[in-house]
Amino acid sequence: MKIENEDVLDELVICPQCHTLHKEIPIKDGAKACCSECGRVMYRYDSRLAEHGLALSITALIFFAVANFFPLVKIELLGSEQFITIPKTILSLFDNGFYVVGMICAFLIFIFPLMIFSLYLLIFTLLKFGVREQLSKELLVLLSRLKPWSMSDIFLISILVALVKLIGYAQIHMGISFWALIVFVLLDIYLTRNIHISEIWMLRKRVFLPKNDKEVPA
Amino acid sequence: MIEVNEKDLLRCPTCEAVNLDKGKENVCRRCASPIYKHKKFKTEKSWAYLITAIIAYIPANLYPMLITSQFGSREGSTIIGGVILLWEHGSYPIAAIIFFASIMIPIVKFLVLIYLLISVKYPIGKDSKVNKHKLYYMTEAIGPWSMIDVFVVAILMALIHLSNIEIIAGTAATAFALSVFFTLLAAHAFDESLIKENR
Repeated sequence: MKIENEDVLDELVICPQCHTLHKEIPIKDGAKACCSECGRVMYRYDSRLAEHGLALSITALIFFAVANFFPLVKIELLGSEQFITIPKTILSLFDNGFYVVGMICAFLIFIFPLMIFSLYLLIFTLLKFGVREQLSKELLVLLSRLKPWSMSDIFLISILVALVKLIGYAQIHMGISFWALIVFVLLDIYLTRNIHISEIWMLRKRVFLPKNDKEVPA
Repeated sequence: MIEVNEKDLLRCPTCEAVNLDKGKENVCRRCASPIYKHKKFKTEKSWAYLITAIIAYIPANLYPMLITSQFGSREGSTIIGGVILLWEHGSYPIAAIIFFASIMIPIVKFLVLIYLLISVKYPIGKDSKVNKHKLYYMTEAIGPWSMIDVFVVAILMALIHLSNIEIIAGTAATAFALSVFFTLLAAHAFDESLIKENR
């Protein structure tokens, strides 16, 4: 295979799951390209990706705020009521002297999810208005570094497991936060599955390329 | 014109751009992150994290994960003890979830990583049909789920906080959280491009 310069490599794509090399082909708006070997979705084309991303990240941040401010679950046990919120769960670890676990939990279920969606919001805003090329690159690198460390979905399942353990001992009432957290996790899964980070890089190339072309002839 | 061998193409682990393998210090042309820094110490970083994780996994199983103090009497239960207790109480699905998350996933992940780390250095299982990329991808996907037990303990501790009945996390919670954390680091430190070289 012969290529003229390294930029031509942008037309190639390696499947994230099985590492098969493919040539990127232009596809219809809203369509997706799957790997011929393992069937995994490799990329999509969405002409309004920045707008969709912005809408999703703003919605997710609102639900994240709700999920953190209101009670998650309330239980009645031996006549007394107890409720927890996400910050209270983390703080109770610190109160009991579990600083390491407390730190790990604080990052995994609070700081990282918040940072990831703020980053999505910032990146899509920058790309929407086509400003700050360098900054958008740095934010995207940070985003892909943080991405594997968000565990809101696992925390949600943990809540259910903890509650099932308590069935029979206490009366359980779900709080507003619980439902908000479900919506947040669903949005998180939807965004991760439908907007792949490599697609944001492709969008970034589309946004900033015409400007660079104009500068070269002048 | 550059002559390119298809085998020399690398995928940037950070931004997934296709890159040319230039031999020594590869830097991604799109996001500028290093693709792999240490040509000499390819697997050592991953080994170090993995061994730390395995060491932390031992106290995680020996010490109590959850301490229930009820009307003055304290009772601790280890991870496996908790699973058995749940099974005896008849909550089979929860027992199964905890068993998979806290016992199966970590052990499978240790074994898979050990296999991957050995097989990229020595010609073990070279002609086996195992797709190592898929194997790695699977461990990456299931890995974080072993945090369930730690979160459950944190939730129960925050929730059950009465004068007569109290649930406190045990030493195992710290050990287990660290073990999971280091396994995740070990998996991230593993250089996927080594699989290709040794296929």
